[in-house]
Amino acid sequence: MSPAPTPVELEEPTVDTTISPDRPWVVIVWNDPINLMSYVTFVLQKLFGYSLEKATELMLDVHHKGRAAVSSGTREKAELDVFRLHEHGLWATMQQDD
Amino acid sequence: MAIWTPKPPIERLRGGFRLNLDEEERELLRGLFEQLRGLLLGGSDEPALKRIFPTAYHRSEDHELDVEYQRLMREDLVASRLTGLATVDEALATEPPLTEEQVLAFMQALNGLRLVLGTLLDVSEDLDLDDIDDDDPQVGQHHLYNFLSWLLDWTVRALSGT
Repeated sequence: MSPAPTPVELEEPTVDTTISPDRPWVVIVWNDPINLMSYVTFVLQKLFGYSLEKATELMLDVHHKGRAAVSSGTREKAELDVFRLHEHGLWATMQQDD
Repeated sequence: MAIWTPKPPIERLRGGFRLNLDEEERELLRGLFEQLRGLLLGGSDEPALKRIFPTAYHRSEDHELDVEYQRLMREDLVASRLTGLATVDEALATEPPLTEEQVLAFMQALNGLRLVLGTLLDVSEDLDLDDIDDDDPQVGQHHLYNFLSWLLDWTVRALSGT
C-alpha cells in the first residue's frame, strides 16, 4: 500500500468525460469461483458462435488471467451481450475502450 | 463377470435427451428449483442473489449507467429465470426424450442454484469436498453443491455432444 499523497494545488485538467460514441464498448468476463470451466466454454460457444478452440482459449484467459474480452461493439450491442451473459450467470461487465 | 457401468445422469439420444435421475433426485431438484423461484420472486436485494444480478458497468465513472441497467434489465433477468424454471418443471415431469430447449433451461437453472448455494457457502475456486469436516454444519450443503456441479458438468457434456 502506498501512503496518502499530500494535497497540492493543481489546475483542474480539462478531461473530456463525455461518452464518445466512436470508441467501442468491450464486454469482459471475469473469473469467479463458482462457474465451471466446461460451462463457461459452452456458454461462450452458444452465445457468440465461437469454435470450441476459441471459446476454450477465452475461458482459460478468464481462469488464468482473471478476465477476458469476449465481444465488443456499440453500447447497445455490448449491453445485450452482457445481459445474455447475465442470463447464464456469468460475471460479465462492459467498459468503453481506452 | 459382468461389468457395471453407471449410466450418466443425462445423455443424448437420437432425437433428444434423457435424464437418468431417480424419483428421489427429481424431488430434490424440484424442491431446490422451487426455493430458487421463491428467492427470485422475493425481491432482488437478497444477498444470496448477488451473482444472479451482477454489475454491468464496473467502472466508477459509469455508475449511473449501471443504475439505469439494473433498473431496466433486472426485471427481464428475473422473468428470463422464471421462464426457464417453468420449462424445467415441465421437463422433469416429461417422459423422454427431452428437447434441447428443455435441457438448456435445465442447465441454466442448475447453474442458478450453484450461484446461490456457492454464494451462501462462500466457496473458493480450489475447494475440495475432502477438506470439509464431516461435522462441519454446512457439510450437507457442500455435498449438495458438489452434486449440482457434477450434474451440470454432465448436462454440458450432453449438450456439447461429447
